[in-house]
Amino acid sequence: MEPIWFKEVLADEIIKNDDIINEMQSIVTDIVCGHIDITRIVENMAGVLTHKDSENREKGMRFFTNLLKKIPQDFLTVSQINFISKFYIDRLKDNHRVIPAVLDGYLTIVGMKHFHISLCGEYFTVLFREIACQSQLRQDRLNIYLTMQNTMDKDIEYMKSLGPDFVFGLISAMDGERDPRNLLFLFNFLPKFLANIPLGHLVDEMFEVISCYYPIDFHPSPDDPAAVSRDDLALALCPCLCGVQEFGEQCLVLLIEKLDSSLRVAKLDSLRLLAESCKKFKPETYIPFLKALWSSLYREISHKTDEELKLAAHEALSALISNMAASHNTDQSFENFVKANSSKESCVIVTKTMIPAIISYYEFKTSAKLQVASLEFIGELYDLAKCWDVVNDIDKQANEIIPLCLTAVSEPTKEHQMAGFKALIRTIDVLKPDLVLPFVEILIHIVQHSDDHDILLVSVETTNAIAKKYPELIMDLVVKGKCNIEEMVDNKSILQKRLNLLSNLASIDDFTRVIIEEMLKIITVDDKNAYNVIKALNGSISNTSLYTEEKVTQIESDHGLIDSILTWLLKEIKSGSKESLVHGYTLISNTMCSLPSEKQKAVLERHSSKIMEKCQNEDIYYPLLECLYRSLQQNVYDSSYEHIMTLSIKIAINNDNEFIKTRACCLVAHFLNKAEFGQTFELLYESLKSYLSSCTKDENICLSLIQLFGWIAKALILRGSDLFIFWLQKILITLSNPECCQQGAEAIRLIVSDQPDCLNPRQHCRTSLLYRQRIFQSFAKLSEKFGPISETKETYLLCWAYVLEKAPKSVLNNEVGKILPLVVDSLDSDNKDLLVVMIDVLIYFVVAKNILVAQSFQTILPRLVKLSEYMKSMDVRIKSLQCLYEIANSYKTALLLPYKTDLLFDLAPSLDDKKRLVRNMAVRARTRWYLVGAPGEEKDD
Amino acid sequence: MKVADNVNPNVYEKGSLREVTKSDLDEELKDDFDQREIFDIIRNISDPEHPLTLEELRVVEESNVIIDNENNLVHVYFTPTIPHCSMATLIGLSIRVQLLRALPSRFKVTVEVTEGTHVSEHAVNKQLADKERIAAALENNNLVQIINQCVRSV
Repeated sequence: MEPIWFKEVLADEIIKNDDIINEMQSIVTDIVCGHIDITRIVENMAGVLTHKDSENREKGMRFFTNLLKKIPQDFLTVSQINFISKFYIDRLKDNHRVIPAVLDGYLTIVGMKHFHISLCGEYFTVLFREIACQSQLRQDRLNIYLTMQNTMDKDIEYMKSLGPDFVFGLISAMDGERDPRNLLFLFNFLPKFLANIPLGHLVDEMFEVISCYYPIDFHPSPDDPAAVSRDDLALALCPCLCGVQEFGEQCLVLLIEKLDSSLRVAKLDSLRLLAESCKKFKPETYIPFLKALWSSLYREISHKTDEELKLAAHEALSALISNMAASHNTDQSFENFVKANSSKESCVIVTKTMIPAIISYYEFKTSAKLQVASLEFIGELYDLAKCWDVVNDIDKQANEIIPLCLTAVSEPTKEHQMAGFKALIRTIDVLKPDLVLPFVEILIHIVQHSDDHDILLVSVETTNAIAKKYPELIMDLVVKGKCNIEEMVDNKSILQKRLNLLSNLASIDDFTRVIIEEMLKIITVDDKNAYNVIKALNGSISNTSLYTEEKVTQIESDHGLIDSILTWLLKEIKSGSKESLVHGYTLISNTMCSLPSEKQKAVLERHSSKIMEKCQNEDIYYPLLECLYRSLQQNVYDSSYEHIMTLSIKIAINNDNEFIKTRACCLVAHFLNKAEFGQTFELLYESLKSYLSSCTKDENICLSLIQLFGWIAKALILRGSDLFIFWLQKILITLSNPECCQQGAEAIRLIVSDQPDCLNPRQHCRTSLLYRQRIFQSFAKLSEKFGPISETKETYLLCWAYVLEKAPKSVLNNEVGKILPLVVDSLDSDNKDLLVVMIDVLIYFVVAKNILVAQSFQTILPRLVKLSEYMKSMDVRIKSLQCLYEIANSYKTALLLPYKTDLLFDLAPSLDDKKRLVRNMAVRARTRWYLVGAPGEEKDD
Repeated sequence: MKVADNVNPNVYEKGSLREVTKSDLDEELKDDFDQREIFDIIRNISDPEHPLTLEELRVVEESNVIIDNENNLVHVYFTPTIPHCSMATLIGLSIRVQLLRALPSRFKVTVEVTEGTHVSEHAVNKQLADKERIAAALENNNLVQIINQCVRSV
């Protein structure tokens, strides 16, 4: 009897009988011996491959893939492979269950001997469009990477011809990869990729997606038998970071930052990276960074105890020097670098003579600009001396710096004071106690009476620096003296500035207890100044370089910051002004940001149920709940989430208060964005969808719904989920409705713009790279379907403007044909924001000499001329003139000449525009047009 | 090829760009033409003999520009680098052409050699003031080519 694979019932057998897989060897033998053709087997499988149930299609594809794996690699012919490849590419659009088998199968196909490389172009196009790599399982992701590697091994030239789309695809595919084994694979693969495929405009993105792993911070789990070690990863990552010359600047910035890190591992990695990079980067790359590199290297070389670090630093230095020496130009800066840093002795001599010289130069009647510069120079010399550890040898000279700073800050001009304070901060080590008082006098005077933002900032910073050096003195003079918190003045403005200073000083350990206790006392005893205290604290604590996470955690555990503020807020919530309450909410949220997850959980346990209860009755309490939950770590999750989610959606839709509504939308977005991949997220997402579908389609809530959709879409796209398309579609539908299209445009604006307090890494949210490109692509695709009706045309164009404004210009190149008509349409509108964005886009196309623009000159030029007299905005006038200038500069004479005479006439009025900036641009445009086609123009047509 | 009149001229530093002030950005305020604005129009004209701008050679200076907004008058004095410079007329012509193209037509523009800086000062001034001669000069393609090359970089 013929085996089953000779008959059409094979399809049913695959569905019913899982053991059929065991017959695989016999099938392959039949094929290889020529008893049956593979086409016939595929025909027999038709029933299962196209079954209406995705589960069975999965079985079919699995079977097919297994079959391909067993067949010898050189057996199938070119045309057979073509056929199979087409089928597999088509399957990429299938249900997500089927995808793993497709990926696996295609990898096998690529490995076949007669596989023609041109097939993979389409495969990758469809793959990048249809599949979000990071939502696949580990092995499937690896299969995608392997396919890329294998195709590159096969024919590198062809892969190059795929251009930036392929690069973009790889970047989006690996963006967010977390598995160490996959990472190790990628790190090994990338140097080859970088060396061969030009990155084009995607250099920054590529570097970002690689550098986010640096330095590697990873500990393999102890029970993993084939564990990848941290060092393996670090070693592999190194060549990726310096894979191409274009990475040079960014790589060095990163490396220098990590050289100064306090983590030993980070330092070691950076030194190795520096040594490795010297093999790749050109000497010019290093020149701007030599000073910083030197001081870090020197510090490590002179390390007393850590031999490994010392050795690594030596290796890095010798690599750097041989790289620099290999350069042909005997660059002055290189010599200076070597000379000035060559030895301790020379540094002593230079600084010893230079410091007095500069001081007398300053006192010599010279211009203010030079005086400021000499203060800066003194600071640099001092830094150099400090780096060589020779400050003690130049004791006498260094002591003269501080009096000079005092002279400078006593001057009435802001520039002198700023420079003086900055120099003082750098040389704070040589400040003697007897000079503290005069400085404090001046500082406190400025802090209380100046209204200049810059000088206030520097003064506070200077006080902070002095306080670190002389805590007792500042404690007596400032905290318990001039700015004593217990004797607060009535003048609100002075009070606020004092409090700002104190809240800054509280970040220093010696002051924390005294100041924070006093401040909290004011907050809790219902003082009329409580609001000012909260505002000051809010300002300082949100500055993360001042208040580290540890510090905030410490303050919260020692003093119960959140408790006090919550109590105050609960008291004020019905009577206080919105502004003062917002400061309270932000302070709580910012404090929560810095806490580790256990502490966050503890805070929630203490407060959330109480506040929940209040919220149930009155929406006005909702912002309290929101600020507690806004900044949670991703792993803090409890059962109350779903409940809060439902409440938030309800408020987002039904509440009339714009502030509360926005807070609710924001929290919904945060929950969606942070929820763990997998079940947690799916449950949350399903509950959201089912709640929204149960809402009555009431016209009153329509606008609120659109706003909420915007937030949901933004949250989803930032976590890299393709589900956002569903919501984007919903928003796009509104654009054809005159009543709510305005709200739709706002939602689009929300999605593409940055929000200061929401959906940022600071609030522990996920953010995906390249998300603006993704929005642009989806928007471009979807908007075709939902074209506008004439009434809402302008809003429709405005939406495009929002998207185009934020999308990186280079991605527009592929869509010129679609975008240009929109731009031309917009030039006729009367909306300033729309015009500014669209002319910018047009300028971009013009500079790129896009020929489509030239074909529409007849429409574009008169519109631009008209806009050059657009009275409502000088920006529009300037930009349209600039565009006219660029047109004359970019296109061939033959294209321009017909319009020359008219334009010269039309541009004349702009020469007499009432704004000078417009006139300047008009001069450029008109004199440029004069040259069009005239002798002496010199244009390579 | 003809060797330049002044082979080794003094070269001066370029001034900085005009700073944009708050009032410049105010939509409502009207900015009048001033000395600096006229100077900015002509400072980057290049010298016919050197790859340098008139500003770098101090042929034109901000203080040598006079403007009267109410009576629509602009007066520019330029200083040839040496008193017997044969290019003086050409430089003057370039300045004139540039101003004709870049200023509103309401202004009456006069371009003259700074007093006492050129041997044939009066002859040059007379040529530059003669409208007919200037119009005729601009019909001459060779001349237009040289002038365009000078004002191209502006």
